[in-house]
Amino acid sequence: MLEIKDLHVTVDGKEILKGLTLSIKAGEVHAVMGPNGSGKSTLSYALAGRAGCDVTKGSIFYRGEDLTALAPEERAAKGIFLAMQYPVEIPGVTTLTFLKAALNAQRRARGESELDAMSVLKLVREKAKTLNVPEEMLRRALNVGFSGGEKKRLETLQMALFEPAFAILDETDSGLDIDALKLVAEGVNALRSPDRAMLVITHYQRLLNYIVPDRVHVLAGGRIVAEGGKELAHELEAKGYAQIVKDAA
Amino acid sequence: MNAPVPFLDARRAEALETFRVKGVPHRRIEEWKYSDVRSALGANDVAEIGTAQWRIEGATENVEIADLSGDTPQWVCDHLATIGPHNAMESASLAFAQGGIALRVSKSKAAGPLRLNWTSHGHARILIVLEEGASLKLVEKHAKSSGLRNIGTEISLANNAQLSHIAVGEKSDQGVRIETIAVSANRNARYNAHFANFGARLSRFDITVALEGEGSEAHINGVSALGGETHADVTTHVIHAVGHTQSTQLFKKAAAGKSRAVYQGRVTVKEGANGSDSRQTAKGILLGERAEIDLKPELIIFADDVKCAHGAAVGDLEAEQLFYLRARGLPETEARNLLIRAFLEDAVLEIADETIRAEVWHDVEAALEAMI
Repeated sequence: MLEIKDLHVTVDGKEILKGLTLSIKAGEVHAVMGPNGSGKSTLSYALAGRAGCDVTKGSIFYRGEDLTALAPEERAAKGIFLAMQYPVEIPGVTTLTFLKAALNAQRRARGESELDAMSVLKLVREKAKTLNVPEEMLRRALNVGFSGGEKKRLETLQMALFEPAFAILDETDSGLDIDALKLVAEGVNALRSPDRAMLVITHYQRLLNYIVPDRVHVLAGGRIVAEGGKELAHELEAKGYAQIVKDAA
Repeated sequence: MNAPVPFLDARRAEALETFRVKGVPHRRIEEWKYSDVRSALGANDVAEIGTAQWRIEGATENVEIADLSGDTPQWVCDHLATIGPHNAMESASLAFAQGGIALRVSKSKAAGPLRLNWTSHGHARILIVLEEGASLKLVEKHAKSSGLRNIGTEISLANNAQLSHIAVGEKSDQGVRIETIAVSANRNARYNAHFANFGARLSRFDITVALEGEGSEAHINGVSALGGETHADVTTHVIHAVGHTQSTQLFKKAAAGKSRAVYQGRVTVKEGANGSDSRQTAKGILLGERAEIDLKPELIIFADDVKCAHGAAVGDLEAEQLFYLRARGLPETEARNLLIRAFLEDAVLEIADETIRAEVWHDVEAALEAMI
């Protein structure tokens, strides 16, 4: 589903990703683990198409199509979803209004008919229930004054609502206590399916106890330096990044 | 104002003299630094432009309406040209206007919404007198025009009187539009105002509110959405003349193209006006590299025990917010639009009347559509 080859990405004139290669098949969940500053967030932004992440070399193919030339909204409509580490607060835009606008924008871009307010509300309510997102939260301004847990639950709710084919979870565990983490992980696991792939980006192994990956990649210095099964995450936790990176060198 | 009322003639002669001495405002006068009327008018004469045409609509029950081009009733004589300050443009409106409108709501009566539409260039006066406990909702609309429209407005609010004043300035590429408003608020009186200015070649709402009675309040808000080469200035001066008075201000401005939005907000708290409470916020977003937003809040405090806060900020749309919305599927234009609307909306939400609020919001949306 996703083929990243020799990807070089520059941010503010500085090369962050230096030849990253990664391939993910439909139905798989992959984890990218790495120390601070290894390029984890840059990878997620490059996949989502954030301005300022310049691909200088290499390619990202998604379902056989080159992603690098596409705008963020085009990628979203094609089924790419980035659950952000720090969901952005947007005063003045109510959460429900935003959800409706985003859902319909994606549908429009795919040539599907737009949903009316009632249908959107029904759909959102259904998803909100399982993720313990109260109706009151949907009427507040998007992410404004939300706790860390509420923000991540809302990101998960969006994932459930948009039903992306490929989801990137950037440091989804940051700022979450264990109960919130379990709830979010359950939400994510419910979305695992044979035709959906996920990339879980995390610093700690903790999240991977709840979202168990098929493959684990270690990112250091802008490159994948080690790969393995889910046991690699445990090894990392035991040995620390420095040792693994050294072993790989 | 054609009636031979000697003391009125004296006031007009005085106004003419004031205008002669002060002249047409230009950018080297501090208060007019961002709004150079002289250069906008060019060689056009200020004196010879005639009287601005108006039309009144809406609910007229409980309102006494006097056309100032006809006979001048006593209550008009009693009030006209009594509320200052008298600056150059206000003086010009008094000196040169051959008409205008006076509105009076008598004691404890409620009136409006009344709609006052300005349809042509020229000078005119507005006089609003609300007697004790009276209330009025007034929606003033400036249609586009060419040339100068210069209105001098006086508002007298007796004890417990309430005026809700919404003024909308349509986009007017050729017009120069100035309205100078002076409000006198007595005990527990309330002046709630909203100024939606969509720009002109040059435009200014210049509002002075004197809170002269304890418990009086002024709540002044406004919105501007500008494009092209338009200019929109809202200048306010709130004077807390006595204690236990309250004022709030919230202004939001978006400027695209080569437009220019201006907010100058001065708050004066006079000596002994303890217990005064004043807040003002002005924010702008620049939507074009050649657009300009000038925000100038100013506090002058002569009393000790007061609460005063002001804030002003100009910025671009936040890249983080834009990316978040786009990453969720909103096309760039739609995402920008959503953010701009959200930015402007809270100032419009201050309008209490639902119908009027919806109308102003409709104008904001139309302005945004034309801009983007």
